[in-house]
Amino acid sequence: MALQADNLWYKDAVIYQLHVRTFCDSNGDGIGDFQGLTQRLDYLQDLGITAIWLLPFYPSPLRDDGYDIADYTSVHSSYGTLEDFQVFLTEAHKRGIRVIVELVVNHTSDQHPWFKESRSSRDNPKRDWYVWSDTDTKYQGVPIVFVDTETSNWAWDPISKSYYWHRFFSHQPDLNFDNPEVFETVWEVVKFWLNLGVDGFRLDAVAFLVEREGTLCENLPETHGIIKEIRKRVDVAYPGTMLLAEANQWPADVRAYFADGDEFHAAFHFPLMPRMFMGLKLEDRKPIVEILEQTPDIPKNCQWFIFLRNHDELTLEMVTEIERDYMYDEYAMDKTMRINRGIRRRLAPLMNNDRRRVELMHGMLMSMPGTPIVYYGDEIGMGDNIYLGDRNGVRTPMQWSSTLNAGFSSADPERLYAPVISNPIYGYQAVNVYAQERSEHSLLSWMKSLIRVRNGFRVFSRGSMQFLTPGNHRVLAYIRRLGEEIVLVVNNLSSSAQAVELDVQEYKGYVPIEMFGRSLFPRFGTAPYLLTLGPYQFYWFQLRRI
Amino acid sequence: MALVWNEYEKESRTVLPEDTFLPDDLLRQLMSVGEVDLLVGILSRNPATPIGQAIQVIEQCFQQNFMRQRVVIVLMDGMSKDGDGVAIEQAENALQNNRRPPGITSLRTIHRVTANFLTEPLPGVALRTILAVADLLRARACAVVTSSSTNLTTDSLARLLLPAYRENFDYVAPLYRRHKFQGLLIRNLLYPMSRAVFGCPIREIYPSEWGFSASLGAHCLNQNIWHEDSIRARPEAWMAISAVTSDYRCCQAYLGDKGPLTGPTPNIVDILRQTVGSLFWCFEKDQDAWLDSDKTASAPTLGAAQELTSEPTDMDRHRIFEMFRSGVTNLEPVLSSILDAETHAEIKSIVELEEGKFRFRPDLWVRTLYDFAASYHHAVINRDHIVQALAPLYRGMTHSFLVEHADSSPAETEAADEMLCSEFELQKPYLRERWKAKVEVKS
Repeated sequence: MALQADNLWYKDAVIYQLHVRTFCDSNGDGIGDFQGLTQRLDYLQDLGITAIWLLPFYPSPLRDDGYDIADYTSVHSSYGTLEDFQVFLTEAHKRGIRVIVELVVNHTSDQHPWFKESRSSRDNPKRDWYVWSDTDTKYQGVPIVFVDTETSNWAWDPISKSYYWHRFFSHQPDLNFDNPEVFETVWEVVKFWLNLGVDGFRLDAVAFLVEREGTLCENLPETHGIIKEIRKRVDVAYPGTMLLAEANQWPADVRAYFADGDEFHAAFHFPLMPRMFMGLKLEDRKPIVEILEQTPDIPKNCQWFIFLRNHDELTLEMVTEIERDYMYDEYAMDKTMRINRGIRRRLAPLMNNDRRRVELMHGMLMSMPGTPIVYYGDEIGMGDNIYLGDRNGVRTPMQWSSTLNAGFSSADPERLYAPVISNPIYGYQAVNVYAQERSEHSLLSWMKSLIRVRNGFRVFSRGSMQFLTPGNHRVLAYIRRLGEEIVLVVNNLSSSAQAVELDVQEYKGYVPIEMFGRSLFPRFGTAPYLLTLGPYQFYWFQLRRI
Repeated sequence: MALVWNEYEKESRTVLPEDTFLPDDLLRQLMSVGEVDLLVGILSRNPATPIGQAIQVIEQCFQQNFMRQRVVIVLMDGMSKDGDGVAIEQAENALQNNRRPPGITSLRTIHRVTANFLTEPLPGVALRTILAVADLLRARACAVVTSSSTNLTTDSLARLLLPAYRENFDYVAPLYRRHKFQGLLIRNLLYPMSRAVFGCPIREIYPSEWGFSASLGAHCLNQNIWHEDSIRARPEAWMAISAVTSDYRCCQAYLGDKGPLTGPTPNIVDILRQTVGSLFWCFEKDQDAWLDSDKTASAPTLGAAQELTSEPTDMDRHRIFEMFRSGVTNLEPVLSSILDAETHAEIKSIVELEEGKFRFRPDLWVRTLYDFAASYHHAVINRDHIVQALAPLYRGMTHSFLVEHADSSPAETEAADEMLCSEFELQKPYLRERWKAKVEVKS
């Protein structure tokens, strides 16, 4: 299956997020690599995903899981070679799978040659590639992102005896985008990967590119100017390339990054995710409806990217203090589960391994407006290890089978980059791909079915959304519509059976067809349409005028 | 059209068992709400105070104090044409306008359900509906409020709900800061009499707002009293007394100043019929709890204690005295049927006194009231007439109180209150004696 020529491919995609290191080790060194990933592409194709988002795989001291890059145009030796990457890319494309890579240019590693040169002396030509100051008093009041580890956004450099600016860890100095040389060098990096054939970039920490006194150093007009310029060049030279913004902001603030459809193609909808968890625990649609109703319209060529879990903590930046307290109390009573302003847990443990709730969350993810992202391992219900430190607990080896090292690697277990999950509930003996592929009732099989249905109806990816407002607030119901393609989604957020009456007068005469089993339901009339749903049950109905 | 209450209730009396009295329309709404933690019912409304204001206060209380809890507001709709629907909509709009970014409001949906009636429901009917809704929704803590209450604030509502929700109290009565001449019926009759008879320590047995637990609500709902006229008219005292006599945990929550009454000044005869009549009915209904028992209950006060104020007031004492004198004279034959001969003779003697020398002694006042209660029990004449006949005597007591405490400090007034309570307790054997006596009912 070759790639379809469609510049809006990212709107219809189902994305699978993974780290090469975690997926499959082909050479027995205990670390996943591109050859291993290539071997597993058939699995991903079978799952039904249409794009892979790769976490950073570049040379790096790996003090921030690869987001501390030391070389932008190469592959970390642990993961293979550039040739290995090219083979992977070609094979992915052959299977109709696009590849999105990381563009982490707000900062580099302090081990990057650019920074080494920059700090070597005050008159080095690359001195101005980073943000230096003789004092640590500039940009006062700018929030610290990693509050658990950093006390300031400035770090003292004993070599050049001055301070450098860093919004994240102190070993990640920020690049100075006020220097045109920096921008042109970044553009060379972009061209490098596009020339190899990648399909898109996730721009990390995009809100922080530029610093200005008297501001929070976020979302500045100069930052938008940089994005616009990259977009313009990409559209001319590499049409069909997707730029995805990582801006952990309120939707109204992120909206600016879509501009008039001439900055980012896509952006993460951060506030929706915690509210899905909140809505489920509260058994009330209110948080979900509120945030989606507050989400502004975006240009037609743009798209929200939505997700349940990812490689970071379940971020609670975009919630109020009250909501954060509630989330901690309900999902992270054990303080070990908390990190920064979030919760370092995977989906299945967050759902107490309740299959019904896991399915409901995936069902909502796949039916809401936006492009869904599945985090590796969540399709089989993998667990986490909160004792591994930082966010490594959600980055453990993929569980392929019940054999040695979960089938991830042939290395001695002690050599693995991280221990496999081995507890009785989530351990690889109980949760693995091999076992689930053999059962048509497994979570994996169910996920394949879900993605297959989603992929079969463009209304999910491009359609409008209209909430229904039944009296029963435990039920979240909405209509997705794209021309004559109409889908009714009804979700029971409650742990108990619910009855709901839906006002579907507008669709009088339509016949609802349950989309997984293709079962016909009674035709809509003028009276409220009564449905009963079991605990955490959901329905997707295709509405047809037959 | 949905079946409305009054029609349904008529049918249910003859056709359906008691536990199916809620109309389908209401059940459908409850189905949507599901289980809740807290419930606030609006018992009645006053045209002078739009219901929307009360809804707004309740919602703000939920948003500020109970963000995580599952909550519901129960409204009564008497199919009125006085714009309640508009008022509710206005309250909704006001809330929307005040809404800040997500999460500042309560985390959950604040549910509302409306019970529809053909006409404005009587308080007892409304309370029964609220209790039934609370029972079906398994509400852990509830409050009942009246939309006209001047004490309904977000804080006061929280003070009524929290003891039931978090501290396992079953009945939470309000306690107010009053002027020494405010609430005289409570001070001179309702409180001391219910305290002496039932051992009931609750000062406000006819509150305009109160809280209660699920278990007390269920207990009250299951009593076979809801078709009694006294309960339909004023169920508040019965609920308070039931809590005490059935050994539920009671407390009193201080709610601050008792604001002035809104709307037209109520007629004292109507007030006596509703309050004293209902209290006498409780004596009758719950006589097993007091006739051979001197059990007393306790009800801790949460927050500041009861306080009195004593600013100068302008009251027409002379007019009150004249109404006492003419009333007693006019009702002479009725009073002779109600009162013990000795009591009656004493009343007749004090009526003859000049206003300046007149004083209604506490012991005589207590004996008078006990005579009324016993006569109500024996139904010596029409019970409604008995209660109405109390009005001039109550005016006499009021006059006496106003004169005696014109210059009293709050502490002195409090001390007098306590002495009156003691007098009621001292003479309780007299009530028992008259209650148990065989009486020939005059035709």
